[in-house]
Amino acid sequence: MDHDSRLDIFSDLPHSIIETILTKLPLRDAVRTSVLSSRWRYEWTTITQLVFDDKCVPPSDDRASFENCLMNFIFRVLFLHDGPIHKFTLISQFLQSCPDIDQWLLFLSRRDIKELVLQLADDEWFRAPSCLYSCHKLTRLELVRCELEPPLKFKGFLNLKNLTLQQVVISQNDIEHLISSCPLLESLTLSYFDGLELTIRAPNLKFLILEGEFKEICLENTPLLMAISVAMYMTDDIAEHFEQSLSCNFDKFLGGVQRLQRLSGHIYFTKYLSIGSGRGSTPIVFHNLKCIDLYQISFEDIKEVLVLLRLVVNSPNLEELQVSGTSITSPATESYDPDFYENQFPADCKFKHLRTVKITDVTGMPLEMAFIKLLLGHSPALEVITITPSVYVADGKLNMLVSLLRFRRASSLAELIFIQEPL
Amino acid sequence: MVEADREVMKAEMMKSYIWLQTTDGSIQEVEQEIATFCPLICQEMHSGLGTSKTYPISLPDRVNPAMLSLIIDYCRFHQAPGRSNKERKVYDEKFIRMDSNRLCELTSAADSLQLKPLVDLTSRALARIIEGKSPEEIRGIFHIPDDLTEEEKLEPLKNTMEDSRIRLLNRLYARKRKELKERENLKNAQNEEECVDNRPLDDLLSFINGGNGDSKGATASKSKKKNRKKKDQQKNAHEDNNPSNNISFCNAIDNDKKKTNGHDPSCPKNKLHGLSFPILSQLKLQDTRDINFAPEHEFDDSDLDDEIDPAMKEKIDREVEDFARRLNSDWPERMQEILCLGQEKRHIPMSMNGNDASVKLNPKIKMRSEVPKHSSFI
Repeated sequence: MDHDSRLDIFSDLPHSIIETILTKLPLRDAVRTSVLSSRWRYEWTTITQLVFDDKCVPPSDDRASFENCLMNFIFRVLFLHDGPIHKFTLISQFLQSCPDIDQWLLFLSRRDIKELVLQLADDEWFRAPSCLYSCHKLTRLELVRCELEPPLKFKGFLNLKNLTLQQVVISQNDIEHLISSCPLLESLTLSYFDGLELTIRAPNLKFLILEGEFKEICLENTPLLMAISVAMYMTDDIAEHFEQSLSCNFDKFLGGVQRLQRLSGHIYFTKYLSIGSGRGSTPIVFHNLKCIDLYQISFEDIKEVLVLLRLVVNSPNLEELQVSGTSITSPATESYDPDFYENQFPADCKFKHLRTVKITDVTGMPLEMAFIKLLLGHSPALEVITITPSVYVADGKLNMLVSLLRFRRASSLAELIFIQEPL
Repeated sequence: MVEADREVMKAEMMKSYIWLQTTDGSIQEVEQEIATFCPLICQEMHSGLGTSKTYPISLPDRVNPAMLSLIIDYCRFHQAPGRSNKERKVYDEKFIRMDSNRLCELTSAADSLQLKPLVDLTSRALARIIEGKSPEEIRGIFHIPDDLTEEEKLEPLKNTMEDSRIRLLNRLYARKRKELKERENLKNAQNEEECVDNRPLDDLLSFINGGNGDSKGATASKSKKKNRKKKDQQKNAHEDNNPSNNISFCNAIDNDKKKTNGHDPSCPKNKLHGLSFPILSQLKLQDTRDINFAPEHEFDDSDLDDEIDPAMKEKIDREVEDFARRLNSDWPERMQEILCLGQEKRHIPMSMNGNDASVKLNPKIKMRSEVPKHSSFI
C-alpha cells in the first residue's frame, strides 16, 4: 500500500464534525492539531468551548512557573481564538486570582459567553469584576470561592438558567436580588454559605440544592420546583436561633411546592423542619412526590419523627423511601409510647404505591422499629425493603432481625433484605 | 400450525419497505421502521419518495453501499425498543471498532443522513484516537500531509521549553545578543581611544600624504578605502593583497585630503603595530573588526572633525539601538537560513554582516554630519 497515495479523508470531513471532534478532546490536544498540516492550522481556533484545567500545561515542581505557564497558555489561546466563545471553564488548583483574570472575563463578555465556570486556587478568593455582570447571554454560571458584589443598577442575568455558587461571599440582599432577577432560572445550587436567611423567589425554578448553615430558608415563590436537596449544617448560633424561632419551618419551606417530585434531606434537615408548629395550617398534600430520602433522622426526637410521618402520610403517590437514622445514640429523652404511631397515623392510610424502602443505620430504637413495622403493615405494593443495621450495633443485630421477622407484611411480594455487612 | 404460519406471513407482509439508492446506482430494500431512524430518509419519505423500486430515495454522495449497510445495522439495533442502556453502550463500543479511515467515512455518511447519535459516537471515537498522540503519529494514522514550514510549526502554542529547536533558537539568539553587547562595549571603549589616537594618526596621514614611498603605511589605509567601495569583504582581502591596486589608491588618497583621514578608531592600534605587515593586519581586521571597519572607511569625512561629546554619544547610542532592533527583526529569517543551510552557518554571519553593513552604509554616506563610524555596529 502506497501511503502517499492514500487520501486524507479525515481533513475533508465537514467543519462542523471537526469542531465536534476537537471539542471532545482536551484543550491541549485540540490546540496541538494546529501543527498537523496547513489545513489544520486554524481549525481549532473556532471551537466555541474552551475548557482550561491544570492538565493544559506540563506539570512542574515550581508553582510560580507552573502558574505562569498556565496563564500564558490561556492568554495565547484567547488571543488566537477566532469567533464566539460559548463555554469557558477554568478549574485550577494552583492558579491564583490576579488582575489578568479580570481581563479574560472582559474578553469573554464581548464574545457572547453563555456558560462560565470559574474555580481557582484556595489562597485568595477571586473578586468578580464588573464586566461579569454585563455578560448578558449567560445561561450557566458556576463560581467557586468568589466575592460577588453586583452593582446597584444590575438588572440580573435575563437568560440565566443554571446558577451554582459555592463558597461565595455575597450579601443577603444581593443574593436574593440575584435569584429573583433571573426570570428563567431553573436550577440553583448554593453551597457552603454561612448563616443565611434566604428567601427564594424564582417562578421557574425546578431544581434546588442547598448546602450549608442556613438560619432560615423560605421558598416564597417556587411553584414549579421539582426536586429539592438540602444538607443543613448546624452551629451553636443557629441552634439557638432555632430554639427561639416561632415560625413553622415546614410550612415555610414546603408550603408552596405542590409539584415536588423528589425530596432529599441531609444532616439537620429534619430537625430544621421540625422547628415550629404547624398549628392551624392546612395540610399540604404532595401528589407528585415520588421519592423521599431523609438522612440522619434522630428517632429519639419526637418532633423529627412527626415530620417524617407528615411527609410520608401526605405523599399518596410515594414510590421510593430511603431513611437513615443517626448513629449517635443517647439515652431516650422521652418515654416510648407504644401507641405513638397508632395515634398519629390515620388508620385507613395506605402507601399504595410504595415499592422500595431502604432503612440504613438502624440502631434498633423503639420508634425506629415501630416505624418499620408501620411501613410493612401498610404498603400493599411493597417489593423490596432493605434494612442495614448501624455499625455501632454489635450484638443487637440478631434481636433486631428477630423483631423484623415478626412484623406483619401487607404485601405478599415484599422481600426483606437484611444487610449483615454494611458496605 | 398453518394458522400460525399464516399469521407470521401476514405480519411480514405488513412490514413496509423503503427503497434506497446509493450514488453507484445500486438499490437496496430496507424495512421502513429501520430506515426512518435516519432523519433524512424520514424526510424524503414524507415527500413521497422511496415507496417503490422505480422511485427510490437517492442517498447523498458520502453514503456508499458499505457505509449504508453499517448504518442500517446500527439503526436496526437501536430502534428496537427493548434494549437497556447498558446493552446499547456495549453494542456501540463494538460497533466503532474499525480502522480510522472507515471511521471517517462512517462519520461523513452519518452526518449526511443527519443521524446525530451515530455522528456523536464516531466523533467521540475519532477524538479518542487523536487524544494524547503526537502530531507525527496523528499524521501517520490519517495520512495528513506534513506541509507546514518549520517556522510555522514553532509557533508558541504548545509549551515551548520542550522543543529542542526552540531551545537552539534561543541559544543562538542569546549568543548573538551577547555579541552585540560586546561590540557595543568595545565601541564605547574605542571612543576613549580615539582621542588618544587622533594626533598620531594625523601625523601618520600627513606623512602618508607627503610621500608615496611608504607604501606600507599607505596600504593599510588604502585597503580600508577599498573596503568601502566593495561589498564583499573577502573580495577586499584579495584585492588588498594585490600591491598594484594599492598604488592607485595612493593617488586617490592624494586627491581627497579628507579621505586620507579615514582612520577608524580601532584600526590605528593595529596599524601602528602592524605597519610592516599590512596583509596580516588586514586579515586581522577582517577577522575581528571587519564589521566595524567596512562602513567606517567610508565615513572618513567626519573623522577629522570628530570629537566625542555627549550629544554625539547619545546619537551613537541611538543608532546602536536602532541597528540592534533592525537586526532583531531580521532575526527569524536569519534563523530560517541558519536552520536550512546548516553547514554554511559559519559563512553566513559574515555575509550577513556584510550585507547589513552595505544596507546601512548607503543611506549613511550621504549624511556626513552624523557619526558614521559608530553606526556600523552589527
